[in-house]
Amino acid sequence: MSMGNMDRRDFLRVLGISGAAATLAGCGNTAIESGVEEVMSYVQPQDFVVPGIGVFYASTCTQCGSGCGIMGKVREGRVLKLEGNPESAISAGKICGLGQAAVQAHYNPDRLRTPMMRSEGGLIPVSWDKATQMLEQRLGPTSTLKGDQIAFLTGDISGHQRVLLENFLESYDSTHHVLYDAISRVTGQAASKAVLGAEQPLLNIDKARLILSFGNDFLGAGVSPVHMAAQYAKFRKAPRGTLIQIEPRMTLTGGNADRWYPIKPGTEGILALGIAHDLLQHEEFAKGVPDEVHALVKQYDQASVSEITGIGADAVHLIAGQLWNNSPSLVIAGPGAEGHAYGFSNVVAIQLLNVILANRGKTIEGQAEHPFPQLAPLQGGYRALAKLHEQMASGQCQALLIHGTNPVFTSPSNLPFADSMEKVPFKVAFVTHLDETAGNCDLVLPLLSAMEDFGTHVADYQPNGVELMVQQPLMEKLYPESRGFGDILLDILKKRKPDSYTAFPDYYSYIKTAVVKAKPVFKVTDSDDHFWEDALRKGVIKWEGKPTALEAKLSLLEVPKPRGLEADYPFYFVPSVRPDMRDGRHAYLPWLQESPETMTTIVWDSWVEIHPKTAAEMQIREGDVLVVQSATGSVRAVAYIFPGIQPDTVSMPLGQGHTQLGRFATGVGVNPYKILDPVFDAHTGELALHATRVTLRKTGENQNVVKDEGPTNFQNGHKLVATLDADQAKLSKEI
Amino acid sequence: MSLSNLIKNWSNFRTRRPYEGQYDDSPYKWAMVIDLDSCIGCNACTVACYAENNLPVVGKERFGKGHAMHWIRIERYWGEGETLETEFPERGAQYLPMLCQQCEAAPCEPVCPVGATHHSPDGLNTQVYNRCVGSRYCSANCPYKVRYFNWWNYPERAWPNPLELQLNPDVTVRSKGVMEKCTFCMQRLRAGMDKAKTDGRILADGEVVTACAQACPTSAITFGNLADKNSKVAKMWKTQQVDLAKNVQEKTEDGIRGYRILEDLNTYPSIVYLERLRNMAS
Repeated sequence: MSMGNMDRRDFLRVLGISGAAATLAGCGNTAIESGVEEVMSYVQPQDFVVPGIGVFYASTCTQCGSGCGIMGKVREGRVLKLEGNPESAISAGKICGLGQAAVQAHYNPDRLRTPMMRSEGGLIPVSWDKATQMLEQRLGPTSTLKGDQIAFLTGDISGHQRVLLENFLESYDSTHHVLYDAISRVTGQAASKAVLGAEQPLLNIDKARLILSFGNDFLGAGVSPVHMAAQYAKFRKAPRGTLIQIEPRMTLTGGNADRWYPIKPGTEGILALGIAHDLLQHEEFAKGVPDEVHALVKQYDQASVSEITGIGADAVHLIAGQLWNNSPSLVIAGPGAEGHAYGFSNVVAIQLLNVILANRGKTIEGQAEHPFPQLAPLQGGYRALAKLHEQMASGQCQALLIHGTNPVFTSPSNLPFADSMEKVPFKVAFVTHLDETAGNCDLVLPLLSAMEDFGTHVADYQPNGVELMVQQPLMEKLYPESRGFGDILLDILKKRKPDSYTAFPDYYSYIKTAVVKAKPVFKVTDSDDHFWEDALRKGVIKWEGKPTALEAKLSLLEVPKPRGLEADYPFYFVPSVRPDMRDGRHAYLPWLQESPETMTTIVWDSWVEIHPKTAAEMQIREGDVLVVQSATGSVRAVAYIFPGIQPDTVSMPLGQGHTQLGRFATGVGVNPYKILDPVFDAHTGELALHATRVTLRKTGENQNVVKDEGPTNFQNGHKLVATLDADQAKLSKEI
Repeated sequence: MSLSNLIKNWSNFRTRRPYEGQYDDSPYKWAMVIDLDSCIGCNACTVACYAENNLPVVGKERFGKGHAMHWIRIERYWGEGETLETEFPERGAQYLPMLCQQCEAAPCEPVCPVGATHHSPDGLNTQVYNRCVGSRYCSANCPYKVRYFNWWNYPERAWPNPLELQLNPDVTVRSKGVMEKCTFCMQRLRAGMDKAKTDGRILADGEVVTACAQACPTSAITFGNLADKNSKVAKMWKTQQVDLAKNVQEKTEDGIRGYRILEDLNTYPSIVYLERLRNMAS
């Protein structure tokens, strides 16, 4: 390729390389640039095929933001099974159930196979010629769209697709990239940033002697569950660490706790202040803590904390005593603490404990600085979506492009996203499956599956330096009409900015060029081709970085004000996030639908969890069909009697209740997003996911709850699962 | 076989395992250790098994009738005795990965009228699909409830096109009327053992593992060759003081965690579980 009219700075910007660390030594031509090498977009498996022998190729899992390295077993041109990639520090050769199910996303019978275009009768299949024509007419060089008239709505995104997307918007003089994740971590991140100076601190689980987790499901639906599970396994080896979990509804992680406490939803911050109050009695902890913290904490003695949180006064003292005795400890806040009107304050109060206990630099550190900030992952939340919704409703938005998020399904009823979409004249969805949001678009483009596309990803949580994860196709595409997200964007960009982009025949050549250009930063002296081939072979490019120091700013500490119950709505409503379904985007995967939710063992359904005591009071039996009514709506689901829940709380899993998304998702369960109260965090404006109040109504119907546990769920005196006091175990002698 | 012959040569017909040194001359005896203190109940193993072993997804209605085909499942208990009476499960939940225990004296084997379920020389309890006539006696006799019957012809319905492209070509897709169960990923073992034989050696420790063990994010499942005294699994059995050929395990001291489930039924399972730990002072 020739550099054409592009100067070097432009070139780097196009590729997303212009960070502080990106001091490129040279700018020599690659084999592609000089035309020596012919770029083929897809791996050519025929070179390696031995009939009957499976070959493993490295790639990256895109099922969640953890960015685990995976190995795909490919045989006779088909990808059969995924395993973890030992080269990646994130997955370290391991893989979760959600990750494995990516092959079912790829082979799913309900995948979108052709472009769809809106006509009078709804969406109809059209040819790519027609779709391209429409794209060009609306978004091509003659388009007059400018600035906020165009919006690109995505979920969690990183790597070169992020760079390309931002460059795409820039060609309209726009920065209107709207990020929305229904299970948003924005509030927790903002609070961590405020106290520690890092949105997502590095948690050295294996180094902690005691972990105190306020509703953080780090082993299940957390930020990097596969990595943290491996860390947790080390944590449990000699000398075995202790896990204390405090949450209204027992999560998968809570089920693993040495001690599990049910707390009244929203009072987590108060409990943290109570524990701080106890700790600050000790001079060792008290020194260096500002006076205003002392003053604020002073009012939270054990009795008043116990009254507010529902946790026994002796328990507060017991927890503080264990933190005092087991150093270093690690205190983690999670969605249970974040999802309230004072979620931010809750998290600040919880992080205060890490500061008091001097855990910084030991069990909690800053992630390594990223050498390429442009590739770093971006996440969003409700507030960004609400702003976009307003812009759309007022007619400001002329074109909406959507990728990797499904707001029509996940937005609560106070934000009728489908209605505001009607005001946008041109809406494009980039999907592999027709979901509820795509169903409201004018043009739906069929994407390659994660098993068919190239890509680069940067994980939300980087345990060891920074890894640039490389995704490569594990097989030829199943459907000739499907295309890569990057390829589609690049095609439009080529028309809009031919000087900058015509040099790249496809997205593959774009990322290859970009990655190879970044070679000097990775301190690799190999030839360009070796470097690239090594990246594909290993599936990961490592950049060594040291953990950074965390700050301790306590000025934002304030008293959280938990919202109590109301006479009309006498129950707290806690929606639970399933590790496999996440926000609901994976409900079309049959393996996951049939995989029992661990705590309840229920499959293929939604349900309402009620504490046995509450159920007895209300004379509710398992299988009774209940109406769960909030101020904003109601859903119907079967009752499940569940001891791991605070008695004033009911819980339902998120992710089911799809009206579109294929045969395995539609008609299964109900969608609790639609009954969430519009309560927002006072600092961040994020939707408070755990702040809804509901009432329960019996319908008189009873249905069989389809679950894996037997009718008598106890061990009948047999030693099935045995428990031993950790003190008596001889872990250090074990192998 | 006449009755007199049967009585006269009884010792030839009765199952004579297990006995001490049974596998001393055998290159392989497959076994497992599952650490319940490491298991977090995440279901990575169960999904891995669906992917590896072509397990059909049966759907809500059939699942509700007990037709689920999960060769490995996570059982979840809330405790026993007094702990069931407490208001909250304050020591967490109890997760138990339950799969075929590959019993040495398997109750499922002698009841099979056609010899479809039998013991392999490397100590696996195997199922020969094309011999199985579907009497389901084996399932009735299994105390662990880990045998699964094909009530329907799943190949016709469980993998709508193109889901069938994912099927593992190394594993038979079972049809209606056949019993099936965990094989310890025999297809992986077979391929590995054959390769090792070609090389004139036995499989190295960890060279082949089951799909569940490979996926497990906490490495709670250790799989290996008990006949190889230097394998990790053999060392773990030894440290945990569990003897394959005994039905009552004598422990030299307290705090040794290894046990086998329903050992008192004289099934001699090939899976040792390690007791879950809890810091009771917390």
